[in-house]
Amino acid sequence: MSALSSSNWDRRNVLRAALGLTAAGGLAACGSNTGRSSGGSGTGLVQYFHAYGEAGTEQAIKRYAKAYSKANVTTSWITGNTFEAKLFSALLTKQAPDVFEFHPQLQMVKSGQVADLSDLIDPVKDDFNPADIKSHTVDGKIYGIRMIDDPQFFYYRKSMLEKAKVDVPTTLDELLEAAAKLTTDKVKGVFLGNDFTAVQNAVIFSAGANTLDEKNQIAYHTDGVVQGLKQLRQLFTSGNVLLDAPTDFWDPSSLDQGLCAIQWGGMWSMPVMQKALGDDLGIFPFPAIGSSGKQSVYNGGWSMFVNAKGKNVDAAKEYVKWLWIDQKKYQEDWALSYGFHIPPRTSIANGATKLKSGLPAEAVKLFTDFGHFDNIAYDQTMQTAFADVIASSVRKNGNPEAALDTCDKKVNVELKKLFG
Amino acid sequence: MTTTTPRVGKERRRRGGVLGNTGLYVAVSVAALLFLLPFYLIVRNSLSTDPEITGENWKILPSFQWSNVSELFDDQTVQFGRSLWNSTLVAVLMTVGTLLVCSLAGYGLARIPYKHANKVFYAVLATLMVPTAVTFVPSFVLVSSLGWVDTYRGLIIPGLFSGFTCFLFRQYFLGFPKELEEAARVDGLGYWGAYWRIVVPNSLNFFAAIATITFISGWNAFLWPLVIGQDPSSWTVQVALSSFMTNQTVNFHLIFMATAISILPLVFVFLFLQRWLVQGIAQTGIKG
Amino acid sequence: MSATTTRGVAQPAPVKASQARPRRGLRGNATLNFWLFTGPFLIGLVIFVFVPIGWSIWLSFFDARYTVTPSQFIGLDNYKQILTNSNFPQSLLTFTVFAVFIVPTTWALSLGLALLVNRLRFMRAFFRSVFFLPTAVSYVAAALVWKMSIFSGVRFGLANTVFGWFGVDNIAYLADPSPPWYWVVIVSLRLWLQAGFYMILFLAALQNIPAELYEAAAIDGAKPGWQTFRYITLPQLRATSTAVVLLLLVAAYQAFDEFFNLISTKATWAQTPLMELYKTALGNSQDYGAGSAGAVILSLLICLVTLAQGKIMGFGRGEESK
Repeated sequence: MSALSSSNWDRRNVLRAALGLTAAGGLAACGSNTGRSSGGSGTGLVQYFHAYGEAGTEQAIKRYAKAYSKANVTTSWITGNTFEAKLFSALLTKQAPDVFEFHPQLQMVKSGQVADLSDLIDPVKDDFNPADIKSHTVDGKIYGIRMIDDPQFFYYRKSMLEKAKVDVPTTLDELLEAAAKLTTDKVKGVFLGNDFTAVQNAVIFSAGANTLDEKNQIAYHTDGVVQGLKQLRQLFTSGNVLLDAPTDFWDPSSLDQGLCAIQWGGMWSMPVMQKALGDDLGIFPFPAIGSSGKQSVYNGGWSMFVNAKGKNVDAAKEYVKWLWIDQKKYQEDWALSYGFHIPPRTSIANGATKLKSGLPAEAVKLFTDFGHFDNIAYDQTMQTAFADVIASSVRKNGNPEAALDTCDKKVNVELKKLFG
Repeated sequence: MTTTTPRVGKERRRRGGVLGNTGLYVAVSVAALLFLLPFYLIVRNSLSTDPEITGENWKILPSFQWSNVSELFDDQTVQFGRSLWNSTLVAVLMTVGTLLVCSLAGYGLARIPYKHANKVFYAVLATLMVPTAVTFVPSFVLVSSLGWVDTYRGLIIPGLFSGFTCFLFRQYFLGFPKELEEAARVDGLGYWGAYWRIVVPNSLNFFAAIATITFISGWNAFLWPLVIGQDPSSWTVQVALSSFMTNQTVNFHLIFMATAISILPLVFVFLFLQRWLVQGIAQTGIKG
Repeated sequence: MSATTTRGVAQPAPVKASQARPRRGLRGNATLNFWLFTGPFLIGLVIFVFVPIGWSIWLSFFDARYTVTPSQFIGLDNYKQILTNSNFPQSLLTFTVFAVFIVPTTWALSLGLALLVNRLRFMRAFFRSVFFLPTAVSYVAAALVWKMSIFSGVRFGLANTVFGWFGVDNIAYLADPSPPWYWVVIVSLRLWLQAGFYMILFLAALQNIPAELYEAAAIDGAKPGWQTFRYITLPQLRATSTAVVLLLLVAAYQAFDEFFNLISTKATWAQTPLMELYKTALGNSQDYGAGSAGAVILSLLICLVTLAQGKIMGFGRGEESK
């Protein structure tokens, strides 16, 4: 199953490795017989997933893979916070995954890393959320299949807000006030994740700005965003915000355990939170910032990509088509049976009874009314640069303008690399 | 081990009064308590339930949840047992390999006359200037282009060629009594024979010390296994621990149980091999 | 006897070889034996140390994003990029501050422990073991304990619990960089992990100081305590101190594990050079060219510092003259 158990590590191999070393300059010679052997019949495919926190997810992905008859698919389920690093470095190697999940990235398209999947998607293109198609399209070609859409918003404990006589905040000012009123010696008012980068996109959108504009130029550097950063700084230093929590925003624990009254989170946490808190749970979008701002929801999510430099591109494409285009049952199971996600395919979303009422229905409404999708050109390098802005002007007492200027410099270099 | 320093004892007796001694023991005990505190926390947390750890009042003694051990090994997502096995294999093979390769080279550099030996030695010395950690990016690329990602050889072999260990061996062999080797020559042994029959058997203390140090660093290594171990099945204990820390769900009792178990083998190695280790460190030549 | 005869027979390179050391071995196949003994190590060294260094230097002149076999030569652009438009220079500064602080502190603490333990008459082995034991713990495990138990920012962290008894509000040691509590976290962790090992080095050295020196000093009227320490103990420990400082410096350069696990890469402070290189090369941007350029710069700096330190404190000279 795994690389280790399949590459028979016995004395002969040690010897061979040692000999390979001793053969001076025999660089190319060694390691020729390594790699993931498929073990079973047919082609062997490797897929990379980051570890979803919800119980049953890993088993589900492996169950789908097992049901596929034309290839032997092994799953790397990568826990920890190093998924990107592991994925990217693995892509350089001979043991690169054939199929992997990630977010749309123009850089990956330009460097020829991901395969064109237009021919798989085109027949069912109309069934997909148009925004999801758009965020995966470059020059008319579609490079990834969206599996799930993950809107992110605030969760709150209704009872705590009632007790403190606080209305649901609609502006960032109100959120700051609410946090102050909700904070007691045991409970913090609000939790935005331990490093605040979880809201870095929401801040841009709620200030009425955007990551990049239509011409792919910087659009996040506005007065509204600066104001938002300043207010977040206020919040950070107010003592009303939960910091250094044992789990980050993606985990429902902080709200569930009563460490905070309001928590930033994703729709995936909803089933666990509902189970823990029952009706004592509400949601609201990231509040508006400044006069030109409006409430926003950041629609994250995960998509499947095929490694264009892989050994079995065609087999990989076939597998991806089978699972993420044809097998609607599995797609529905994946989106709704563990954490909640919004199925990107209209036909599945329409039939999803779990999302038709109560809090999930509210979440779908937030997704539709306030949602902002990924921009394929706003890549990881730029997001990292903006994360530095959060670090230096919200968690540290840096000047937001200066921090944004530094960010601009890095983003412009990146834009120049992408668009010339 | 208290018997090793009689002369310092004599000097001490002259000036240490009862009062000075009490103060000394108080100071050293406070320091010892501080040094033991993290171990206490590990044990306490590993044998508690999560509510006990996260509760509002500090519980000094855990409720001794021994079932945490089996729960940890039953956890399918992190494969902790597998990572223990990987670490054991990696640390043991690395120790054996390093001892073999580096001691031979150290002996060659110290004892075998060759006109360019000094140049070779300087080349080895130069690698000490560049910490291995700095070259990890190209090393990773190299190892991955050999197809060694996710394999034991990728975890082990690149770590065998430690310039520092070779350097330590050379320093040690420089001080090895020549008379013994000469006796071997009398018996008609070549360098190879003399090395294996005379030099190695008479240096076991030093080998044990280097073995311990190598084993510890192999067991505790993090950055290299982090980049080489792509698939969870090839993770070492340290990588598994790190992923526990950043995982999506946090189970305190499991995390600390994992920590406790990851430390346990080394604590035993330490307590049992400490004598050799201390002697060996004293012999490494670092003491100048 | 056979030794003396072979000596007479073979003298191929008498001057240079005997300069290294006079030798009575089997001269005839010495060269072959030399390579036999050192060969495996040297080949490995070339492949896994010299080749990566060379490859790194080569990559640093190319546009190597998402690839390690680049084709586009871009001269010094990577160096310009990493020096002017990245957080790498900042990380060098961070490291310098860190090293300037941690090296003397660890030195002082381990020497202090060694002096304490050396004066003990009872339970000396016990206390030595206690101080030495943390050496067995990995940075990762220690970081975990520090982050999740001692300096956890929530109410059930040990430090916050203790402060709570005195009515101090919970402190977010790691999330909030001002005041920089995170240095307390990192420094205490490093001291705990390292001090025991260096204490052993100092203990070994202390026990090698001849007692006569102290007796002579006592006769000369030196008071036990500070004067003896200042004029006898410290100078006698000079060689060990030099070695310890060098080892500590190298260890500080390589700081990665505990920073990575405690601070994470999503901050702009307390990022060590190695973390910046990790982010640049293996992180999201996958820029092996700029990462390699940073590695080259860092290596050069380390060479300079090591050489300077060797010059100032004289490490290495003693070794070479042997």
